[in-house]
Amino acid sequence: MNTMKKVGLIVNPIAGMGGSVGLKGTDGDAYKKTIELGAKPTTPQRIEDTLALIKRDDLSFFVAPGKMGEVYLKKFNFKYEVVSKIDEETNADDTKKIIREMLKDGIDLLIFVGGDGTARDVYDVLGLSTPVLGIPSGVKMFSPVFALSTYAAAEIINNLNEEVVEKEVLDIDEEAFREGKLGAKLYGYLNVPKNSNFLQSKKETSKLSKAEKISKEEIAQYIIEKIENDQLYILGPGTTLKTIAEKMGVGKTLLGIDAVFNRELVGTDLNENGLMELIVKYDNIKIIVTPIGGNGFIFGRASKQFTPKILNLIGKDNIIVVATEDKISRLECLRVDTGDAKTDTIFKGHVKVITGCKSETIIEVK
Amino acid sequence: MILKFNTNENPFSLVAHVQKAAIKGLKEINRYSELKYLYEFKTLLGNYNNVPSDNIVVNHGSDLLLREFINIFSKDRKIITVNPSFFPISKYALQQARKLTKIQLSPPDFKFNHHLLLNELNEPSLIVIDNPNNPTGKILADDNLVEKILQNENTLLLIDEAYYEFSGQTFAAMIKKYPNLAITRTMDKAFSLAGLRLGYLLIGDFFKDHFSDFPAFLSKPTLFAATEALKNPVYMTANVNKIMSEKTRLGNELAQIGIQVFQGSANFILIKSNLPDFGKRLMDAEILIKDLSDEWIEGFYRISMGLPEENNALLSIITKICADD
Repeated sequence: MNTMKKVGLIVNPIAGMGGSVGLKGTDGDAYKKTIELGAKPTTPQRIEDTLALIKRDDLSFFVAPGKMGEVYLKKFNFKYEVVSKIDEETNADDTKKIIREMLKDGIDLLIFVGGDGTARDVYDVLGLSTPVLGIPSGVKMFSPVFALSTYAAAEIINNLNEEVVEKEVLDIDEEAFREGKLGAKLYGYLNVPKNSNFLQSKKETSKLSKAEKISKEEIAQYIIEKIENDQLYILGPGTTLKTIAEKMGVGKTLLGIDAVFNRELVGTDLNENGLMELIVKYDNIKIIVTPIGGNGFIFGRASKQFTPKILNLIGKDNIIVVATEDKISRLECLRVDTGDAKTDTIFKGHVKVITGCKSETIIEVK
Repeated sequence: MILKFNTNENPFSLVAHVQKAAIKGLKEINRYSELKYLYEFKTLLGNYNNVPSDNIVVNHGSDLLLREFINIFSKDRKIITVNPSFFPISKYALQQARKLTKIQLSPPDFKFNHHLLLNELNEPSLIVIDNPNNPTGKILADDNLVEKILQNENTLLLIDEAYYEFSGQTFAAMIKKYPNLAITRTMDKAFSLAGLRLGYLLIGDFFKDHFSDFPAFLSKPTLFAATEALKNPVYMTANVNKIMSEKTRLGNELAQIGIQVFQGSANFILIKSNLPDFGKRLMDAEILIKDLSDEWIEGFYRISMGLPEENNALLSIITKICADD
């Protein structure tokens, strides 16, 4: 019986170069600028540090060619096959193309080295289909899909088991950044190995909480039982809300804002105008949202479509916040930052967050 | 040698006269404990806490008593507690309770908003709080809050006072007046008896029936050692003073090297460090502290006190980690 674990390895060779020259990343054209400014690659040391600490001999690597993986892996004694080909200059399309080819080989885990930009590329191809482990090498690392360090990454690989948990793929909110604010925007979710000691934000293991999935099911069940007829429910982004929608019997976009009325989808991926149309049309409206893990934002980050105007029309009393106990117990507080100080003040105070069919947490919104 | 700062134990080993009592118990270990020794111990506990001995339940470890208490008295009630805290709220208790409501304590001050709690008392409730709180060390309750809670007949209040000897604050005096108050205590920490596990409950009259047939057999080494400890508790007071003094010193020195320190009123300090792999790097140096990020907010660690030389070793390693970064 073949018990080898098939592991994909892909390296973004330019990730992290921007940091030393004061840029916020190497996505797109920024890379050329980093070269002009004399930046040096930081990735080789990172991946080699991790590979040197892996103690397992049951790993069979499917590695990206050349500087995207092979040159580092071949210094060690792992079994490996090279996947695909690349040109001298690489880009995000190479990353996506190679991962697609790795998927054909049926990998059990993808290890990628890079930053938030790379995590987004990985998410675009993989979604939740295959577990990943990010080795931090980027300038921006908002996403909790990265191991805390190269050492931690090796520990996670050495102690792999079948259990995975969902983590957010976050990246700089470019729109906010252009307005002079630094914030993270939610792009999607990746599954990472369950390893409470080492992954950033460490949200996985808890003696207190049930498995994430069961917890979300419980929250969804509770909401379903409380649902009222002739009430419009506007559902924010995230897998918890998607689970609720599924229980309602409707399909929901993962990252968008959707609306359900009498268990029928009446709006999908809504923007401010779309929401306004619904507010005009329906009398009784409730918004259901979940905070972003780690920073606790309920409004003003992943769901900017909920503008101050929309929130004020719907009102604080019509906001339902849901979150798994695991997520909420790791938050310092919930946060709102709508861009309008008056609106933020209205939504501040304490709220009850539904964490299960019989459980809730009272937490401050700041 | 591994230095342990992760389990809130007392770093001072047991004094000779209490050790001698434990050994006496060990020599008679082929026989069950006799009830007369249990009664003697409960009388001493009654005097120590100024509570009638009939209102005291003893057992091996306060965790077991907490679990038993919560399992029994959560039925058809709303359990109200705080987060963080580490109460053994079992699946069984959750199944039979009507609801579980947690009130989140948020850094940096971990303020416990009493109004939030009092506003929740609109249905039969069981409130479970630790005072001081573990891991923040924060005093959560005062006389005013406890009185207001206990005046609700439909509300039961369980306060864990595991760190009473360090904080000096107790609500034991209210047991006689309020039948709906219960307090858990332990001799594991202040009395250096962690390895023998001695926990006890001080209970208001409402709970007495439920515990009337609760098995209370302590092992002989535990019973004899705990009895001797209560007869001559001077060592405990001296050790508590030394621990609290070391706690102040360690906290101040950690603050000086840039670590965020939350002193609190228990025998441990809470710290925050954003240094990568902080707990792991200490572990590599054979020093164990409690990494709270498994269950709570990332970057928070709880450190219990060691002997002065052990605390110096901890300080020296943390200073090095900070300097390397």
